[in-house]
Amino acid sequence: MAEALSAVLIGLPLTLLVTAAAFAIGAVGGIPLVLGLRSRHTPVRLVFRFAVDLLRGVPTIVWLFLLYFGLAVGDYRLDSLGAAILGLGVVASAYLAEMYRGGFAVVPKGQREAAQALGLGRTTTFLRVLAPQALRTALPSVTTYLLMLLKDSSLASTVGVLEMTAQATAFSRQNVGTAGLTPFFVAAGVYIAISVPLAIAARVLDARLSRSL
Amino acid sequence: MTESLFTPAGEAATAGVTIANLAKSYGSHLVLDDISVTVRPGGVTALIGPSGSGKSTLLRCVNLLETPDAGTITVGSRTVHAGKKISERDLLALRRQVGMVFQSFNLFPNLSVLQNVVLPQRKVLGRGREEAEARALALLDRVGLKDKAHQHPQRCSGGQQQRIAIVRALALEPRAMLFDEPTSALDPEVGVEVLAVMRELAHDGMTMIVVTHEMQFARDVSDHLVVMADGKIIEEGDPAAIMAEPAQERTRRFLSAVLER
Repeated sequence: MAEALSAVLIGLPLTLLVTAAAFAIGAVGGIPLVLGLRSRHTPVRLVFRFAVDLLRGVPTIVWLFLLYFGLAVGDYRLDSLGAAILGLGVVASAYLAEMYRGGFAVVPKGQREAAQALGLGRTTTFLRVLAPQALRTALPSVTTYLLMLLKDSSLASTVGVLEMTAQATAFSRQNVGTAGLTPFFVAAGVYIAISVPLAIAARVLDARLSRSL
Repeated sequence: MTESLFTPAGEAATAGVTIANLAKSYGSHLVLDDISVTVRPGGVTALIGPSGSGKSTLLRCVNLLETPDAGTITVGSRTVHAGKKISERDLLALRRQVGMVFQSFNLFPNLSVLQNVVLPQRKVLGRGREEAEARALALLDRVGLKDKAHQHPQRCSGGQQQRIAIVRALALEPRAMLFDEPTSALDPEVGVEVLAVMRELAHDGMTMIVVTHEMQFARDVSDHLVVMADGKIIEEGDPAAIMAEPAQERTRRFLSAVLER
C-alpha cells in the first residue's frame, strides 16, 4: 500500500503540470475563439464555429494520438508531454470558448447599449463591461472543466507521459501477484484528494462573488 | 440654490436638438415616418403615444443607438446625416453631447456605484481619477446617494439605481439628455424620487427629451408635448393645452386610456 502510494505519487507532478498547462492553453486560447464566434462578420463566425465543432467533435484521445504520432514539421516531432499538453489544451480551448460564449449571451443587451450611449469605445465596452460579466457567469462551468481536465490528464498516459495513471499501471504490472488493483485505488484516492478541495474552493469563490455582486 | 452641478458651465452650455425628416423602417414596416421635432436649448419635450408608436425608436435615433434611414439629427452645432456611412468619430462625438437614461437603468453590475460614474468620465473625457471621483461624489451627494458610492448597484433600490444612472450620464456633462420611460420599471412612490431629480434638472436648464407615460410630469415640467402614433407625429404643442383639449381623436383616446389607469 505504502509502496503503491509512493509509486503513484511520482506521477503527481506530471499530472498537475499537464492539467495546469492544458488549462492555461485552453483559458487563453478560448479568448480568440470566442471573439471569432461572436464576430459581426458572418464568414468569420462560420469559420470559427466550424473550428470549434471540429475540435470538440473528435475524442480527446484521438487528438493525442494524431498529435503524437501524426504531427511532424520537418524533423521536429512533439514529445509525449508536448503532445499531451497541446492536445488537451486545444480541446479545452474549444470547450472554454463555448462557456465564455454562453456567458456573453446572458449579458443583457442594455449593458452594451448603456456603454454605447455613454460614448465608451468598443475595447473599453468589451474589457470593462461585457467580459467581466460574461466571465462571472461562466465561472462555475469553467471550474467544473478544470476538474474534468484533472481527470482527463490521465489520457496523457496513452502517449507515454508517466503521470499518476501511468505510474499506477506500471506498478500494477511489476507486482502482478501482490498488488493487483491496489495502485488504482491509491490513484483514485489521490485524484479525489485534489479534486474535492478544488471543487469546494470553486464553490466558495462563486458564493463570495455572488454576494459581492 | 448655490451652484448648478447638473448643467455644465461656460462653453459647454446646453444645446438644442433638431430632428428633421427622420425616417426608419424595419423591413417593410415604417416605424418612423418623416418625423421632425425641434427642442430649443434648455427646452423639455415630452414624447407620448401608445406602445409601438415609434417614440422610443425616435429617442434612440437621437444618439444613434438606432440608425435612421433618412433625415438629419442636430445637437448643438453637430449634424449627422442619415443614410450616409457615419464614421466612428462622428458617432462618438454625437454621443458625447447626449446623455441617455434607460427604463431598465442599465448600471454595470460588475462595478461599484462610484466606478459606474467614474469609468465613463475617465474613458470618454480623459479625466484623472481624483477629478472623476470628486465629480462623481458631488453628483451622488446632490441626488442624496453619496453613502451608496461603494456599494454594488444591485444593492440599491430601483429608484436609487435610476438616480445613479442619471448621475452617470450627467457626469459626462452632456448638452442634452434623453429619457426612455425612466419611471416605467418603478413603483409609483419610487418613481417620484426620480421625477424629482428630473424636475430639478429641467429647472437647471438642461435640454431634455422624455418618453413617458407620466402625464402630470409631462404637463408640469415639459414645455412641449409631442404625441405619436403609428410612426407619425399626430399632434404637438403646449402640453396643458393638448391635455385639456386634444385636437385629434387618436390623442383623446390615448389620453383617456392613460389617465384612467
